[in-house]
Amino acid sequence: MTRFFRAIVLVAFLGAALAGPQDNSLVVGASQEPVVLGDLLNVLGSQAIASEVEIYLYAGLYRVNLDGALEPDLVTEVATVENGRVVITGTPEEGQRAEISLTLRDDIAWSDGQPITTADVAFTFEMTRAPGFPQTTDFYDRRMVEVQDDRNFTVIVEPAQSSDFVGSPLDGPLPEHIMGAGWDALQQATAGLDPETAAAQFVDAYREFFSDLGSSAAINEGRTVYSGPFMPTRWTPGSALQMTRNPEFHNHPDDQDAYVQTVEYRFITDTNALQFSVVTGAVDVTGSVSITFDQALSPQLRARAADRYDIWFIPSPVWEHLDINQFSNVQQVADNQLDDIRTRQAIIHAIDRQAMSEALFDGLQPVSHSNTSPFDPIYNPDVPQYEYDPERSMELLAELGWTRGGDGILQRTTADGRNVRFELEYVTTAGNAVRERQQQFIAEDLRQVGIDVRINNAPSNVVFSSDFINRAYDGAWTGMFMFAWVSSQGASLNAQTYLCESAPRPENNYSGQNAGGACSPRYDELRNQAVVELDLAASLPIYQEMQAVFAEELLAIPLIFRSNPIVVSQGVVNYVTSTFNRGYGYPPYRPELLGWAQNGATQELDQSAYASQLED
Amino acid sequence: MFTYIVRRLSQMLPLLFFASVAIFSLVALQPGDPLDALRMANPTMTQEQFEALRRGHGLDQPIYVRYFRWLGRAVQGDMGRSRTYGVPAAQFIFQERLPRTLILTITSLTIALLVAIPVGIFSAVRQYSAGDYAVTFFSFVGLSTPNFFLGILLMYLFVIYLPETFGFRALPAGGIPNLMLSDLETGRVTLGEYLRQWATYLVLPVFTLATGSMASWTRFMRASMLEVLNQDYVRTARSKGLNERKVLYKHALRNGLIPIVTLVGLSMPSLFNGALITETIFSYPGMGRAIFDALVNKDFNVAMAALIFIAILVVFFNLVADVMYAVVDPRIRYD
Repeated sequence: MTRFFRAIVLVAFLGAALAGPQDNSLVVGASQEPVVLGDLLNVLGSQAIASEVEIYLYAGLYRVNLDGALEPDLVTEVATVENGRVVITGTPEEGQRAEISLTLRDDIAWSDGQPITTADVAFTFEMTRAPGFPQTTDFYDRRMVEVQDDRNFTVIVEPAQSSDFVGSPLDGPLPEHIMGAGWDALQQATAGLDPETAAAQFVDAYREFFSDLGSSAAINEGRTVYSGPFMPTRWTPGSALQMTRNPEFHNHPDDQDAYVQTVEYRFITDTNALQFSVVTGAVDVTGSVSITFDQALSPQLRARAADRYDIWFIPSPVWEHLDINQFSNVQQVADNQLDDIRTRQAIIHAIDRQAMSEALFDGLQPVSHSNTSPFDPIYNPDVPQYEYDPERSMELLAELGWTRGGDGILQRTTADGRNVRFELEYVTTAGNAVRERQQQFIAEDLRQVGIDVRINNAPSNVVFSSDFINRAYDGAWTGMFMFAWVSSQGASLNAQTYLCESAPRPENNYSGQNAGGACSPRYDELRNQAVVELDLAASLPIYQEMQAVFAEELLAIPLIFRSNPIVVSQGVVNYVTSTFNRGYGYPPYRPELLGWAQNGATQELDQSAYASQLED
Repeated sequence: MFTYIVRRLSQMLPLLFFASVAIFSLVALQPGDPLDALRMANPTMTQEQFEALRRGHGLDQPIYVRYFRWLGRAVQGDMGRSRTYGVPAAQFIFQERLPRTLILTITSLTIALLVAIPVGIFSAVRQYSAGDYAVTFFSFVGLSTPNFFLGILLMYLFVIYLPETFGFRALPAGGIPNLMLSDLETGRVTLGEYLRQWATYLVLPVFTLATGSMASWTRFMRASMLEVLNQDYVRTARSKGLNERKVLYKHALRNGLIPIVTLVGLSMPSLFNGALITETIFSYPGMGRAIFDALVNKDFNVAMAALIFIAILVVFFNLVADVMYAVVDPRIRYD
């Protein structure tokens, strides 16, 4: 028997290529595959795996480091008021103008050897200003770029906001000498079209333009160039993407031969198969879109970890919460008094979030009390906290006129004389096992205080369609909706989601992200004050008060902050990430430093400073 | 026969028209909007911009207007671009996904047939022998084992358990090899190496996929052969002194194969639409996953191109099965 199986598998693997330290390569396992690469302006939509791979391929003006702070990447230094590179004029009341002066390094070049200049910066910015460009965001609407010479340029932001200073002032440059001719042809082809009436043609044309430069076929033909530490050499769709060191990159380590020379992303879409690949050593590390949290906790993975790989849990800025329908025109909302803060307080007091975190996540996904990550510089640790207190929950419900019926479910008589039971609809994404388990936990806690939970789950494409999530006003969902927001540092400063005006209503054609229609005038007032205060030291107390208001008034019910697992084979050095690394926590911090200790690569970064491990 | 084929082909057009209406309606009536993903990725997009995009893509039009617009382009060969992948939908389906699915499904079909036919014959000829009982037992095990269970079991066995127990390198847990056809032209790999790498990735999904068909076709083959072997003409052949080999393979087998030919003909379309469960378990990027992902992601053009293609195949292979039936059985005439 033994001989038989040995024969089968040895024959199968005869001549298989050696990987890892032997050929100084690194295999990254991912459960998703990018659609295109190099779509830095998100014309085809944002995709986590593409953003992660682009860390290897493109350098930005700045980068966010492991501590969430800005560092210069293609520029000589980060612009600040102190070094004179940021000049602010105007007042918060009337609007302020920020002039951000930057200088490109003199040693930067594209992978074909052409220097990276301000022509590339200006070209990339001009793309966003083109008629009908799909990403007409507020970010670009408030910007202008003035070029002084090949290396110096100024970004003018008006009106400037606090969030303008926690990231790069512009997206990373794209190569004008490669893309310019195609872009000009595209502009000529669409010159006669009206962006209003021909929006679809514009979107399709721009999507095609970026696809034709960043698809697998384009990459295999080498149609474009790169500014990052690696460049793609081969992309087999459905299988793997290979990258090798970009010889023109400006920041390789001195003894770069000791470090990893090729990085291969292996796309294994089923996470069970990916988990097996980790166990067998077919992949050296996992990326941010990879095995699930449950799989990282599984005995199958953990039992085999010793001396082979480390499993890290990185605190994530992804915030799980319950949006509550607070549109009082909806009958069930009025009947259940969900627009009354006491009902929301009763709900949160009824849920043992700490026990849920420990039971389902071994405590690695901490309970949240507001929508701001504990790792965000503006985080306020002293917000009001609603602890698990079912007695208090029942008191609050009694204050609101609810009494237990014979079936144990709360009931009351409404002002118009109707007898209603406290039946609460609970929506989340069907098929997301982790969420569904949390849902069971929460539903059981709510039943204990007499709230009858009616689960109404559907696949994510259904619940996140604009005619469902954005139609709480029309009663498309009438109770609680559990989902997550990804909170970057910029998003937490912009804090637009829970504004009263962001509630989708008929008046604004159901636009906005405040799905449940939460509204706190005090929160809005503080937010509008904070976003125009450009001195973070001065705006910090305002942001912290906003969090306190959010937590106290329960604009949404905070549940937990997620934690992302990554697996790193022992011997791999500097494959490190953190909550806000590169903006959203995608690994690694600096791909140019990836290496194997046994090949002489020096460990400079320590994952244990930014993540935790489960103790056996 | 010729008239019959022409008549059947002419019936295909209205059938396909109604099939396309049904498929279009089902895809279009899914909750949500194909532009939702674009909007989610761009939260600052205003409602006006969103509405302009909907108008531009004709999504504000009634469903029948959208259908005829789609049909007008489709009959000219323009199936549109994939919203997810940004490439022409036809290119994505026919150049990328279909060839991979065919590698998987044709290999498993071939293996299933190569095993099922001789084992079925053996089982029929040795009816009620120990061998027949063993074949029957394993056929029922194969029939009653769901693909998702068998796939995971095989993966655990060949990827984790046996390599860990006996200390050899494991088979890949899933995916496809990092190989392109152009690698053969450029000499990056030899043909032998190319086939070897594909074989390591295909062995588990092919076996998983082949097991069900193998088990069921073995049963059909056995039943069919038993029926034929009890016919008078077989008895006559034996009584006139023909050797058993000739009786079996010349007289019985041809008739015994008729039901199998029908079954294989009817299963042809499934060669093209992939095997969603097997493809999912083994992360195999084929047609099954493509169709599933296109429906989930509301990638309308890909979903339509793939589903219409499958509808055409179903209709076409039904015809092929009928024709093959006549070829195998001379008693059947359609004219």
